[in-house]
Amino acid sequence: MAAKEAREAVGEYKAGWHDPENATIRFDFGLSEQVVRDISALKNEPDWMTEIRVKAFHHFENRPMPTWGNMSMLEEIDFDSICYYLRSSDATEKDWEDVPENIRDTFDKLGIPEAEQKWLSGVTAQYESEAVYHSIREDLEQQGVIFLDMDSGLKEYPELVKKWFCSVVPYQDNKFSALNTAVWSGGSFIYVPKGVHVEMPVQAYFRINAKNMGQFERTLIIADEGSSIHYVEGCTAPTYSTDSLHSAVVELIALPGAHIRYSTVQNWSANVYNLVTKRGIAHENAKIEWVDGNIGSKLTMKYPAVILKGEGSHAEVISVAYSGKGQHQDAGAKIHHLASNTTSKILSKSISKDGGRGSYRGMVSVSPKAENCKLNVVCDALILDDGSRSDTYPTMEVANPSARCEHEASVSKVSDEQLFYLMSRGHSEEEALAMIVNGFFEPFTRELPMEYAVELNKLMALEMEGSIG
Amino acid sequence: MDAASLYKSLDEPDRADHLWRYTPWKRVHPSGDLNDIPIAASPKLTLSCLDDSVALVGISVEEGVVGAEVLPESDEVTASFIRAAAKESIYALRVENNFIANSPIILDIDTGDSNCAIHLTLDIGRNCEFELITQISGAAPWTGFLRTGRIGDGSILNDVVIGHTDSGILLRVDSIAIGRDAQVKAGTVSSGSERTKADLRYKMGETGGHLNVLGSILSAKDMHLDHHIEIHHDAPETFSRLDWHSACGGKSRTVGTGMLRVAKGARGADAGQLFHNLLLSEKAEADSIPELEVSEHDVVGCGHGTANGPVDEDQMFYLESRGFDTGEAKDALIAAFLNSTLVEMGSDALHNWLAEHLQDELEDLKS
Repeated sequence: MAAKEAREAVGEYKAGWHDPENATIRFDFGLSEQVVRDISALKNEPDWMTEIRVKAFHHFENRPMPTWGNMSMLEEIDFDSICYYLRSSDATEKDWEDVPENIRDTFDKLGIPEAEQKWLSGVTAQYESEAVYHSIREDLEQQGVIFLDMDSGLKEYPELVKKWFCSVVPYQDNKFSALNTAVWSGGSFIYVPKGVHVEMPVQAYFRINAKNMGQFERTLIIADEGSSIHYVEGCTAPTYSTDSLHSAVVELIALPGAHIRYSTVQNWSANVYNLVTKRGIAHENAKIEWVDGNIGSKLTMKYPAVILKGEGSHAEVISVAYSGKGQHQDAGAKIHHLASNTTSKILSKSISKDGGRGSYRGMVSVSPKAENCKLNVVCDALILDDGSRSDTYPTMEVANPSARCEHEASVSKVSDEQLFYLMSRGHSEEEALAMIVNGFFEPFTRELPMEYAVELNKLMALEMEGSIG
Repeated sequence: MDAASLYKSLDEPDRADHLWRYTPWKRVHPSGDLNDIPIAASPKLTLSCLDDSVALVGISVEEGVVGAEVLPESDEVTASFIRAAAKESIYALRVENNFIANSPIILDIDTGDSNCAIHLTLDIGRNCEFELITQISGAAPWTGFLRTGRIGDGSILNDVVIGHTDSGILLRVDSIAIGRDAQVKAGTVSSGSERTKADLRYKMGETGGHLNVLGSILSAKDMHLDHHIEIHHDAPETFSRLDWHSACGGKSRTVGTGMLRVAKGARGADAGQLFHNLLLSEKAEADSIPELEVSEHDVVGCGHGTANGPVDEDQMFYLESRGFDTGEAKDALIAAFLNSTLVEMGSDALHNWLAEHLQDELEDLKS
């Protein structure tokens, strides 16, 4: 895809505009126990949820910042200058026409309703702290599939939420999972009944519009025995001179024989801290796949994880990261083999350009009782210019002698031979570079729904523009 | 600031740092009281040549000579601690320019039977060509071994350190600069101590340096052997390879952490690291963290890999089908696994010497 064509298709960071803020409820900046209690009261939550929020808040307060990763960027986060709750619409609408006009315009520009009509089983659109639109295909509803925003899920299925909430990612897991648990709002709640296969993907789209906003969605997906679902999420935000914070928690539970695929194309603007905890538990013969693309944000710290708890379960993580000017994509994967005959595969690809920094940080472990496990990790990185940087920090802990574990990583530049080959066939150097980069990311894009893959290719071509000369 | 004051001014190492993740400082400190810096005894050093008939001219060990400083790339806690503990035990291995030896030189370090520390400086001149085996033996409960120094421009050195102590803790720190166009093979054979923490760092600060770091690690019984290897490519056209083989039997644990750091400006750097772990028993464990930090885009290539697994069944079948019994076949494969790095460490003479000295340890692996 030529850069010119890409620009025509997507423009400059195409999601960087912002609408006038029309908040119906906006909390003051800063975080306190009272803010946490107020969020819970506003949502009229059960006592157990309020209690867990308050405990998580205290844990967040007492827990120090991580002493690894990009500590200088982390220390720039001013938690007192962030708004922890902002509601722009009074309700979650089921009819697109009922969504407030300014918000509807935003999602129209992002192409959400169009995508829903064409190729989705259901959609949730979240604007600031709350879902503003939600729909699911009738036939799925009739089969018992629950697809709600998380707040509605808590109201309508409190026992189900109570059973699984924090079961995969406890609030004590890390500082940002504690923050999310304290102030979470929005996100998706999905339950797929036994044996039901949701053929078309469901999608959630997250948009931060306001300045200095914190978005803390919480997503919980439970796939019951023998079921399957593909969940796709996209994220954008306006470009401001001050920073916003996105700190989500995603918990996946794949019960025996179930299959969950969770795809993300993260394209936050370069002023957003994206500090996310994503983890799934796979029971017997279940399969969990994370397909994770990180294009935007200022600092991303995200390591999708799978705990292979049941015998014969399988995990895959395919991730790509693009780090441009001022960006640090600190991404990776974690897989823990707790049961026998479990298998996993991690493929990570990153590109650093214009002084950006890409890091792969991973952990794979095999417990002493897990017999005959197989795991494979491959990390490839391209550094496109002077001043950019690539790091790889993999950890492998193997405590069972029957395990077969492989890890390989490489860091390189774009091959002169490949460039020459393409240029000798009439492509400009810029086009040739864009083609090579898209080819480098191809193992990721081929796993995405077609519309996302096309969009990603356009975005990458745009990022490559001006990289020659 | 002297070494003891520097050590006391430092914070206890953070276990979030991979260097300390598996073997916290307290576990390799001689007393466990982190404020305590014992003045350790001096070991007995003997320099000889494997070929008795060769006279040692141009190479010597001098006592009490203040040697090279620790490179800034090295860990301050361990280096300052050993320097403080070894303040009565400072030696320099001096090698004159153009020194050539056709037979390996052996530096024996006998630790005795009480806590022991040594700071040895390698002062190796230009265009030397020789093999050095440094053997640490004895029954000290704790041994601190710090090597600092520089391999001179254009020198060709096969440098093998073999940890051969009866038991106890070995804390080893290498902080070595590789000179312009020098070609170095740095081998580590670790087999003896109950607990080893080794932090080996090499600085490729001058153009054309060529470094092969090789490890052959045998852990058995309750051993805990933790090796961290860092290679810093700071100059253009530098080359490094790390190939680390660990065989773990009994209830032992081996840890291999590596860091390849390619600085901005190190154009044409070519760096790779490989960790192979062979797990031989149900309770053995092997951990690997091979890390890369690359800040220069114009590199030949930088990569790493790790592989863990049991003894290969196909290879076992092949040997058994040719008359080996199961035990013999397994022993042969373990020996071959460890030998694949041993054989790269130097000449046939050096390799034969190592193989002969490792027979007992190979027997221990079967337990």
